[in-house]
Amino acid sequence: MSAQPAPVAETGYPWPIETTRLDNGLRVIVSEDHSAPVVCVNLWYDVGSRHEPEGQTGFAHLFEHLMFEGSLHVGKTEHMRYVQGAGGSLNATTNPDRTNYFETLPVEHLELALWLEADRMGGLVPALTQETLDNQREVVKNERRQRYDNVPYGDAWLRLLPLLYPAGHPYHHATIGSMEDLNAASLETFQAFHARYYAPNNAVLTVAGDVTPGEVFALADKYFGTIEPVPDVAPGPHGHLPGPATKPVRQTVTGTVPAPRVYLSHRTHPFGTAGYDAITVLAAVLGSGRGSRLYQRLADGARIAQPDYIGAYGVDLAHAPAPLIVTATAKDGVDAATLEAGVAEVVDSMATEPVTEAELERGKALLTTSWWRQMSTVGGRADTLSRYATQFGDPSAAAYRLPQWQAVTADDIADAARTLSPESRVTLIYEPEQTAPEGTEA
Amino acid sequence: MSLVATRPEPGDARPYAFPAIHRVSVAGGEVVAAHLPGQLLATASLLLDAGAAREAPGREGTAGVLAKCLEEGTTTRDSAQYALALEGLGAELSTSVDWDSFRVGVSVPVGLLSRAVTLMAEAARTPRLDPADVARVRDDEVTALRMDWAQPGPRADAALRLDLFGAGERVGRPLHGDPASVAAVTVEDVTDFHGSWLKRPGVLLVAGDLDKLDLKELGAAAFAGTSGTALTPEGPLPVPIAPARRVLLVDRPRSVQSTLRLGHRAPERAHPDYVPITLVATVLGGAFTSRLNHLIREVKGYTYGIRADFAMTRRFGRFGVSSSVQTAVTAPALVDTVGEINRMRRYGVTEAELEVARTWRAGSLTVDMQTPGSIAAALATLVVHGLPDDYYATLRQRLLEATVDEVSAAAAQYLHPEGLTLVIEGDSALIRDDLTVSAIGEIVDAEV
Repeated sequence: MSAQPAPVAETGYPWPIETTRLDNGLRVIVSEDHSAPVVCVNLWYDVGSRHEPEGQTGFAHLFEHLMFEGSLHVGKTEHMRYVQGAGGSLNATTNPDRTNYFETLPVEHLELALWLEADRMGGLVPALTQETLDNQREVVKNERRQRYDNVPYGDAWLRLLPLLYPAGHPYHHATIGSMEDLNAASLETFQAFHARYYAPNNAVLTVAGDVTPGEVFALADKYFGTIEPVPDVAPGPHGHLPGPATKPVRQTVTGTVPAPRVYLSHRTHPFGTAGYDAITVLAAVLGSGRGSRLYQRLADGARIAQPDYIGAYGVDLAHAPAPLIVTATAKDGVDAATLEAGVAEVVDSMATEPVTEAELERGKALLTTSWWRQMSTVGGRADTLSRYATQFGDPSAAAYRLPQWQAVTADDIADAARTLSPESRVTLIYEPEQTAPEGTEA
Repeated sequence: MSLVATRPEPGDARPYAFPAIHRVSVAGGEVVAAHLPGQLLATASLLLDAGAAREAPGREGTAGVLAKCLEEGTTTRDSAQYALALEGLGAELSTSVDWDSFRVGVSVPVGLLSRAVTLMAEAARTPRLDPADVARVRDDEVTALRMDWAQPGPRADAALRLDLFGAGERVGRPLHGDPASVAAVTVEDVTDFHGSWLKRPGVLLVAGDLDKLDLKELGAAAFAGTSGTALTPEGPLPVPIAPARRVLLVDRPRSVQSTLRLGHRAPERAHPDYVPITLVATVLGGAFTSRLNHLIREVKGYTYGIRADFAMTRRFGRFGVSSSVQTAVTAPALVDTVGEINRMRRYGVTEAELEVARTWRAGSLTVDMQTPGSIAAALATLVVHGLPDDYYATLRQRLLEATVDEVSAAAAQYLHPEGLTLVIEGDSALIRDDLTVSAIGEIVDAEV
């Protein structure tokens, strides 16, 4: 018995969307939903680590930390205290493309969130001190140690990027940055960074939840309307690449890891393109879930890969061809070469063995559920609308992503798979250090 | 440019209601459901009284191996057919084992929930459990645990747990076992565990748009072929506190950070002082603005984060502080952390701190409970701890009404800085001398 596929959605965004633009250029988006008394305020600034010049890696992310350390009318640490004191949850993230800030609160605190965001958009620089910078620099260095340096395989992403993108490309370096550059960060650089990028005309504000558009537009104007635009926000650096890489690159790392692991990676297409939609569905067919080709053939079939550490996914970057990453970790007694050959064979099969209807429907069904999971919170919806407004100029374009995934055909996947040739592949291998033979340790 | 200088006052609070709870008895089991009108996604979760506490000594991890085996095919289809059927609906089986329960769940677009529950029950009630598959899954679990134990944290957690609860109690050993105990699990252990605990009806939790769901039909699918009655829970464990503070050193050569796990025992989840205890932890180390995060991260820059909490189950609890700090500042970070716990025990909390803590905890009930998954988890809390259907509404009110005296009294009663076990997983050679000089407690090398 074959499962009936999930019904095809006509839209991935069945909630209302209203937009306006303040005189200073700030785009404001409102998506009403009165099913719970909560609201999310989400801001995307069109600045990420891709904007960092050489010698300043990690600055966009360190700057994100500084945004929580006080502004003109908000004392140091008060930002967190006010939001949590209102019952809200908040965070911010930085990636190569952009920096986002968001808080979800009981709706009666909407104005608080807008006031806090406006104050740090328009009034960060006067509050920025050397002491704050020094302290947050240490926090970020600890973040780097905890996430990347003290964890087996933790530096894989840091190693893949420079192999995937040539020196000088905006995606060549990782967002967390280097310890050397962070140490060299000066206060003046950060003041200039804010003046250059944290402008209303370089940001999108989305409010989703138990609100009305009229109320939000008026409040947005009240709190953000007086912030001066920056006359010429410098365009982001060019991410243009002439095409897929033309020769394979590999790196082998020997370290304190518990088992061999391989990463195969390719530059594909920018997020938002038809080519990348095909890669997204391809990744689901190839590496999501127990029914995926990788799982079926390497964890279940040949049994050379550990079932919990197998997968394929695209990293959704929009300003240059985005990476597809395929990874597997060896079972006991399996060496890296065997595992690598096994993974490569499965990746190559995507071009040589046509994807079946059942494989395609399975991959799309999983993507459909993950889409609706993202849409099940006001926070997930607000971030999605900010993304589409920032990257594609139109929040309502968010509605098309799910139908576009669902429209991907087996032929589209075969076309996409043919671009994943071994000649353009980046291979990263981790090998465990040779340990001393048994009996020699005290 | 003139920014608005004064912080806006909140508007009128809009009422929050926990979703309406519906209970249906069907086919020997109970369905507990929350109505989320208009929600496109729905979650169902089978809650079984088959937690890690039911595992045999030396075989810790049996339930986890069984959980993985549920996807290795059923009596009617092999693992590949099963994966295609379930994932073809867009569902994946989520299984979890904690001290009190064994859960199997699915989340899908609401129109597909009935079919997903039927498949979920097929895996939970009639798994194939082919001996060769069970042995392979067990071996994979051993490998996965070894991967996990190569990370900083699990060894420190195990050292703390053992010290607090002792090897004689199941809860003195890791929740999911360790590589050695899982390696000792036999095929028979797994099939026996299934036969003893997963053939009873249990409770089906449902969160979604009930206008589009038939609870009787879902329950009939979830409880088909089951027998037996609900088990009577055992009472809570006592809360002994050590007479002196001790340092347990877990060596991790070349580590660039020290992983800190501090703790002592505490009451169980259903304890009447749950609300003030929670607020103590929030002020001390729960919120970003907590005393510990403020001092150790924001003022000293020793860490990326530090948190304190009370982890509470049906029979026991433990107070704990966890962090990772730079190797060079291990001793001062510990001294500062213990100092803050001491200060809170002696002097309690301030009104300003408590105001943040109670509105945050109350407000986050509203903010956190938006998704079918989080609502289903809240239903599980009600069922496992025997709490009433109006619990969340009452909890919200009790959080908002907690007083400084009440919370300070809980700090004095439930924090025991002098009886803490301080586990440090780090490069012993680099930190031992500093720890000795700090005189924070007797230093013992832990074998984990």
